[in-house]
Amino acid sequence: MSWTIVVGVKQVPDADEVGIDPDTGRLDRASAPAVMNGPDREALEAAFRIRDQVGGEVIAMSMGPPNAKTVLKEAVAMGCDDAVLISDRAFGGSDTWPTSLTLARAAEALEADVVICGEETTDSSTGQVPPGIAAHNGWAQLTYAEAVDARPEEDRLAARRDVEGGHELVAADLPVVVAAAYGEFDPRPAPLHRKIYGENDFEPTVWDAEDLEIKDEVGLEVSPTSVGGMETVDPVERKGEVVDEIDDLADSIEEVVA
Amino acid sequence: MSDDDEFENGVVDVEEYDDVWVFVEEHDGEVMSVSWELLDEAERLADELGDDLVALAIGEDLDDVAEEALERGADRVLVADDPVFEPYRADPYGEQFRAMVEKRKPSIVLIGGTHTGRDFAGRVAVPAHAGLTADVTELGVDDDGLLEARRPAFGGDVLATILCEEHRPQMATIRPGVFEAAEPDGDADGEIVEADVVVEEDDAISEVLEREVGDTADITEAERIVAVGHGIDGDLEPARKLADALDAEIAASRAAVDEGWVDGARQVGQTGKTVRPELYVAVGISGAVQHLEGMNKSETVVAINNDPNAPIFEHADHGIVADLVDACPELAERFDEAAEPQEVVQ
Ligand SMILES: Cc1cc2nc3c(=O)[nH]c(=O)nc-3n(C[C@H](O)[C@H](O)[C@H](O)COP(=O)(O)OP(=O)(O)OC[C@H]3O[C@@H](n4cnc5c(N)ncnc54)[C@H](O)[C@@H]3O)c2cc1C
Ligand SMILES: Cc1cc2nc3c(=O)[nH]c(=O)nc-3n(C[C@H](O)[C@H](O)[C@H](O)COP(=O)(O)OP(=O)(O)OC[C@H]3O[C@@H](n4cnc5c(N)ncnc54)[C@H](O)[C@@H]3O)c2cc1C
Repeated sequence: MSWTIVVGVKQVPDADEVGIDPDTGRLDRASAPAVMNGPDREALEAAFRIRDQVGGEVIAMSMGPPNAKTVLKEAVAMGCDDAVLISDRAFGGSDTWPTSLTLARAAEALEADVVICGEETTDSSTGQVPPGIAAHNGWAQLTYAEAVDARPEEDRLAARRDVEGGHELVAADLPVVVAAAYGEFDPRPAPLHRKIYGENDFEPTVWDAEDLEIKDEVGLEVSPTSVGGMETVDPVERKGEVVDEIDDLADSIEEVVA
Repeated sequence: MSDDDEFENGVVDVEEYDDVWVFVEEHDGEVMSVSWELLDEAERLADELGDDLVALAIGEDLDDVAEEALERGADRVLVADDPVFEPYRADPYGEQFRAMVEKRKPSIVLIGGTHTGRDFAGRVAVPAHAGLTADVTELGVDDDGLLEARRPAFGGDVLATILCEEHRPQMATIRPGVFEAAEPDGDADGEIVEADVVVEEDDAISEVLEREVGDTADITEAERIVAVGHGIDGDLEPARKLADALDAEIAASRAAVDEGWVDGARQVGQTGKTVRPELYVAVGISGAVQHLEGMNKSETVVAINNDPNAPIFEHADHGIVADLVDACPELAERFDEAAEPQEVVQ
């Protein structure tokens, strides 16, 4: 038994480096370095755990501009067997509908048994892409998965899901899309030989919209939603008083709860 | 325009769509409070648009839930009642919800942004080619009657307005706790409509093997909160003493929840709850943007942290640089004293 496990990896602006443009007073995302979405490192770890269990291949896929290949090289350095960049100008302006269609078609082309995604991204953080991939392909889904357990004898994957008011263990038929709960899959250290290979020698396969036969089904045109505007959120005004004595702090609290 | 053109790229005649729908999420007969929060907010939208307010429930034995939705202001309740829906699974829920949407053509569909809501919403929006806005914190209607769904992005630094102009329905998931639910008025005028159940157990592609019920606390209504972070290092005792003395609920950062020290129902932030207490005491919490998002509506914020450079101090009204192990019980003592009856002086 061996499974093909495909992992969605997105390039995002480094959240810690997004500053305010001093001239316009607006957020300056353009100058922030592009990095791998943090939760996707955990998706990779979840994939490696399944590979440890059943054997097979872990393939990273990223839809993005040509320079997104950096995050794919990093994914290979972390232990992926292969990676695919899906890049085309036609993808510009895609909301989660065509984004998940594109990734769904790529997963199909890669003959995925399991697709693993992060819980959500740190930039637009909709969390809608993993269920979207499952819905486009009519596949099962396991979101908010805190642990995964392959059951190859049943052709199923089970996951412990964090749900309202508790937890549940759900088994889903293959192929299945998993969204790994953030904070539950500590990425393992990269094996040194992979690190060298990924960073120096590896080049991902590149597919465009034509390769996936979706040229007319992506981009702004087919996206139901659009961003109508963005406002920078002013931080809530707080007093910011720091006191030295517990008694002074207690007095302030007393005023509130009295 | 021919029919073919009309449906090009999923674009539809928006005039054919009306009514505002709210999904009522229930598990074992217990309704998630976000559903009632939404019903109240949606009533305002429906009034503004001159549309009907429709509640939709999927599950098993939903009579009481449907009745309560009417009492809480729904003009109609659509019910899909069948054992196949209990316990919740994404595939039967998504399939059923989608069939109801395609048959009845609502203009707006609001779903609580719980794990359940965010799990199945895409299984409706994708096949229906509907617009789906994630994790919304503000709702409005523009001059043309379009839904303006506002949502935080980039870790809460930005509030983006998302529109869905040419596709229907306009769907959104809404973060729990951002709206307040009103009390039901007890007047249950309106109609309960049984929808055809379109899914069968044989078609299911997933199976719930086990379920453990955890903490179902609702921290969104709490007046006072003591929230713990990674700084407590596994020991809840100091914070619990303080919470008891202040008569406060315990809440937590995601880091403390991920460690298993506090149940997920009590998580505050981007992927947790939004709270609005009069007092929020952050204990051993650094103040990451994703956490601040959930606590920003608090009236007064107090921070206890042993790192003078912790960002939380900039987002607090009052703070102390101290070890929480000492500071919490000392503070608690002050309030325990205050709560005790005064000694009578002879
Ligand atoms: C401010 C803002 C708000 C937006 N709001 C909405 C909205 O409400 N609704 C909507 O439909 N669209 C919205 N969009 C568009 C949406 O952000 C894009 O379609 C985006 O590329 C995918 O969504 P996400 O980043 O939220 O992914 P998420 O669904 O949060 O991603 C979850 C996981 O899916 C995988 N994944 C996601 N994208 C990729 C990728 N490109 N390549 C490989 N794997 C990937 C990763 O594993 C990731 O961890 C918004 C865009 C902006 C800028
Ligand atoms: C997609 C995504 C979604 C997220 N959603 C959320 C969310 O909903 N809610 C959330 O909270 N986070 C969320 N996070 C995580 C967030 O980025 C932070 O990692 C998290 O909030 C940190 O938790 P913390 O402050 O408890 O821990 P830390 O950042 O580790 O801070 C611990 C603090 O405790 C202090 N401390 C240590 N020891 C003591 C002591 N003895 N006495 C006093 N102080 C002490 C330290 O100085 C430090 O400031 C999300 C992240 C991502 C990527």
